[in-house]
Amino acid sequence: MHPDQPVLTAAQRLGLTAASFVLMATAIMALGPLIASSAWWWLCAFVSAGVLFAGAGLRALRVRGALVPLLEAVVLLMLLTLLFGGSTSLLFLVPTPETFGLFGELFSGAQRTIAQQSVPAVTVPALSFALALGVGVLSILLDILVQVARRPAFAAVPVIVPLLIPGFIVETGVGLPVLVLVAASYLLLLRVDVRVNRSARFELDRDDGIATVTAPRRVPVASTLGASLGVAGVGIVVASMLAASTPSISSSLLLGTGSQSTLFARGVSPFIDLGKDLRRPEPRPAFRYLARDGDRPNFTLLTLDRFEGDVWSVADRPVDGDNTVDAMGAPVGLEAEVETSEHPIEVLVNEVRTTWLPVPYPSTRIDGLQGSWFWDDESLTVRSADTNTAGQRYEVTRLEVEPTVEQLRGAGSSAGIDGRYLELPEEIPEIIPATAASLASGSGSAYDTAVAIQAFLRSPEFAYSTEAPVEGGYDGGGFEVIGSFLEQKQGYCVHFASTMAVLAREAGIPSRISIGYTSGSPTTERVDGVQRVEVDSHDLHAWPELYFEGVGWVPFEPTPGRGSVPAYSRPGAGQSPTSVLPTGPASTTAPSGRPDLDPDRGFAGPASDPFTNSGSWRVVALLLGVAALLSIPALTRVLQRAMRHRRIRRGDRSADAAWQEFVATAADLGIGIASGTPRAIASSVAGRPAFRDPDTSAAMLRLRDAVERARFGPDDVVEPPPQARHALADDLRAVRRAMLHDAGARDRLAAALLPRSLVERVVRVPGVRAGGGA
Amino acid sequence: MTASPTANAVDAASVMLIDEVGALAARVVANVETVIAGKREAITAALTVVLAEGHLLIEDVPGVGKTMLAKALARSLGSSISRIQFTPDLLPSDVTGVSVFDQADRRFEFKRGPVFANLVIGDEINRASPKTQAALLECMEERQVTADGTTYHLDLPFTVIATQNPVEMEGTYPLPEAQRDRFMARVSMGYPSPADELAMLSTRETSSPLDRLEQVVEVEELRGMIGAVQHVFTSQPVKEYAVELARATREDRQLRLGASPRATLQLIRAAKAHAAMHGRDFVLPDDVDALAVPVLAHRLVPTSRAVGSHDRDSGPLIDAIVRRIVAETPVPVGSARRN
Repeated sequence: MHPDQPVLTAAQRLGLTAASFVLMATAIMALGPLIASSAWWWLCAFVSAGVLFAGAGLRALRVRGALVPLLEAVVLLMLLTLLFGGSTSLLFLVPTPETFGLFGELFSGAQRTIAQQSVPAVTVPALSFALALGVGVLSILLDILVQVARRPAFAAVPVIVPLLIPGFIVETGVGLPVLVLVAASYLLLLRVDVRVNRSARFELDRDDGIATVTAPRRVPVASTLGASLGVAGVGIVVASMLAASTPSISSSLLLGTGSQSTLFARGVSPFIDLGKDLRRPEPRPAFRYLARDGDRPNFTLLTLDRFEGDVWSVADRPVDGDNTVDAMGAPVGLEAEVETSEHPIEVLVNEVRTTWLPVPYPSTRIDGLQGSWFWDDESLTVRSADTNTAGQRYEVTRLEVEPTVEQLRGAGSSAGIDGRYLELPEEIPEIIPATAASLASGSGSAYDTAVAIQAFLRSPEFAYSTEAPVEGGYDGGGFEVIGSFLEQKQGYCVHFASTMAVLAREAGIPSRISIGYTSGSPTTERVDGVQRVEVDSHDLHAWPELYFEGVGWVPFEPTPGRGSVPAYSRPGAGQSPTSVLPTGPASTTAPSGRPDLDPDRGFAGPASDPFTNSGSWRVVALLLGVAALLSIPALTRVLQRAMRHRRIRRGDRSADAAWQEFVATAADLGIGIASGTPRAIASSVAGRPAFRDPDTSAAMLRLRDAVERARFGPDDVVEPPPQARHALADDLRAVRRAMLHDAGARDRLAAALLPRSLVERVVRVPGVRAGGGA
Repeated sequence: MTASPTANAVDAASVMLIDEVGALAARVVANVETVIAGKREAITAALTVVLAEGHLLIEDVPGVGKTMLAKALARSLGSSISRIQFTPDLLPSDVTGVSVFDQADRRFEFKRGPVFANLVIGDEINRASPKTQAALLECMEERQVTADGTTYHLDLPFTVIATQNPVEMEGTYPLPEAQRDRFMARVSMGYPSPADELAMLSTRETSSPLDRLEQVVEVEELRGMIGAVQHVFTSQPVKEYAVELARATREDRQLRLGASPRATLQLIRAAKAHAAMHGRDFVLPDDVDALAVPVLAHRLVPTSRAVGSHDRDSGPLIDAIVRRIVAETPVPVGSARRN
């Protein structure tokens, strides 16, 4: 700190605070490419503004400089409590131990969501919390550097943090416009600081009574510009270096207890992991479920729809924040003619830990989940942005689709579906098209071809083996593997499923592969008369789904000995509309194209607030936020009054405090008083109705006399004794009561909600005063 | 009887409590008001000047009660009074006194002039010749009379209350700027309001109210009051404010001559008396404000351009300028000193 630290006025401090806020608000824009929608920015700006301007308010109240950052931290805590504490807090502001527990959960949830989500991430509450916390802490740091240490040039340090983060995640790093904006804001802060310093120094000289005027220190624009560009440059370089040296995400078991990132790992086939899990000597329990009517669906975890020659993978689609699981979308392609029915299933996940939720395809809604879960538009698979399946207990409403063979046979197969589901690499092993052609010949429709492929794979020629592919060196789902599998005719679900999917595509039928669990093993235990079903790691399974126009995605079961073959796909299936396997689609209307291309999505999209995804909560939270914002002036004023009363009690320039409070109260109530000497002010208000009462008038004059003595009286005047201070406080209360009593209801309301004294403090014009002699 | 250095210094022991000063001052003002109704401001200014040991110039047209004010004040204060009616043929010795040869003692004896009194009323001072004016003004400044090599100190308190007709009147010798500067304050009486004038008619039908005026203060008490005034505290911001006002008059575009350092000094002195009269032992900026026009205005000389463009209906030009300067100068509202 400077030894000759100039004392800044409240207005100067406010200027610095505003510049700091602008800098922070622009800096967090750098996170824009990483996070969907813009609501998070408003949240962060709100938190930053709350912290910084609370600091400015505290300083205006003459709180000791070193104490302000601590109090700012308290304000941050209260803001977080207000925004995220929910019902655990007292009066929405005071955190309880439960609130801290909740914060802990949110924080770990944030760590998970950062690991799990792809860019741009959905602002789940946990992520919002982490952003708000981070921005709040950075704002405090910024405030310390700018206001306490008076070193605004170092404001670059906290600001560089949000600038760095995109460099880790997005290859392009921070966009140039944001960098320019941040640099401009930084320049603005430095500029404000230079002005403030200049005037403060001048004031300082005046106070000392030294008649010298120091020449203002000129800060050349070039040097500050250089500093800003330096900040930006260092940010980019450091970010790219760190990004380059970040270890790549390690692969691990599909459903292991370790990292959840497995399924995102590009270039690693989930099949391999699935095979490893299937080869476990001891099955590991996965989850259990209760389903009425002997309902035994397959549970889909994820769907692989992209085949690139040597690997099946998930198309990289960002999570859509609107797709909450309380109302899931309609299955793609399902039309009203197909019969459907809904079946509730209660699922309790104990052991398995994955970000993908085991859900039958298709389902219409899921209730009771903890954390944020979103469904995928096309596959209706459900994944979490911030948590995982461990310990989840939920009720999923499964939609049973019961197409008839006629409907399937009559369906076209490829119109209206993304071409991705038909894509095959160019260099295909000869055996694949040959097999496909031989199976397709002689069958009339796409459905018949599909049934023929399934029958071919289920024929006795093929044997189920989890070991043979590993020994034969053709584990996985790639082309080479399929070629080897077609020759060796030994493999497990992965091979059967991928082979059928590839053969179907070869025959012109859109296909994909679902990975999940088969229906599991019923136990003897019954809950409310419903049999409980246990599912373990040996129930892991992969199966193909083929697309038929009008029916949607229809599962098949080419793996011998696993799962159950859907009735409609048995060779020679008759008129019977029964189906054994879950299939198909829920809604009675045709699906409406691809919702993920909806132009309303995206960054400028739904102005949903970031606090929660539930509608009513949203409104409540928004109202609370608005109310909190609106109550800031009122609270500041209440705090100011309390501080002044405390000064009176403690004898810290008590007369001044009492007088300031009197003047502020009068200003709040719109009692037009000029600024000026206490005597001028007193005589200007003396004619008001409030002071007709001689007692009130006398009290006001006592306040005036006290402040005059304090300001202009002999230097050896000490603080009045405690009784006198007590009397001062009583006088102040009496005068305030009288003024309030005298004012109209509207003035009183305005005084409480929008205290004018807070503003007039800043814009007071010196030298203009009311007349009135002594 | 040779030099008479009587009671030159106000005895510190006789210093009065500030509350008493305020009470006595209020009584004096009320007393004088029974004679001159509706002129509280002029009365207050006059008493202020007495307490601040300055001299007062009362300037107005004839017949508005200038002399009456001076007499009433003198009588209320119980001090010795003398009155000099200035005429063009008045000699300096008529003011200060003259040495007369005493046949019996065979030596010169100094016969004290009317200036040897606590309150000296100089009526129509601008009708005297400059030489006589100068003699009086020397007494005012030095508070002593020198005759035939002997210096005679004047009794304290010593205050001259001079009245003067406006300079346009016939047969007058206007006081030069340097001499006006000797007066601490100048007040104008102004015409009474119709109601006051009507009341005056009925009260003075038979006798002069001055005859019935009671003495309120003993001369010793007056000295005590003056002593108390000297002990009034002036804070740094108020001093700076007075200096700032003086500086502003010197730099003002409408003024050819600004306030002298003596003016600043007397402004503060008068402000101290003003504070004491209100029972306060420290000076407020408001005291300075209240006295700026009486103390400063008569010392300033406006530029001819300002005179030419002045609208006479809006009162005396110089008063307006002083009021404007006071309004424009930032007043120390006293952002709390830290003790």
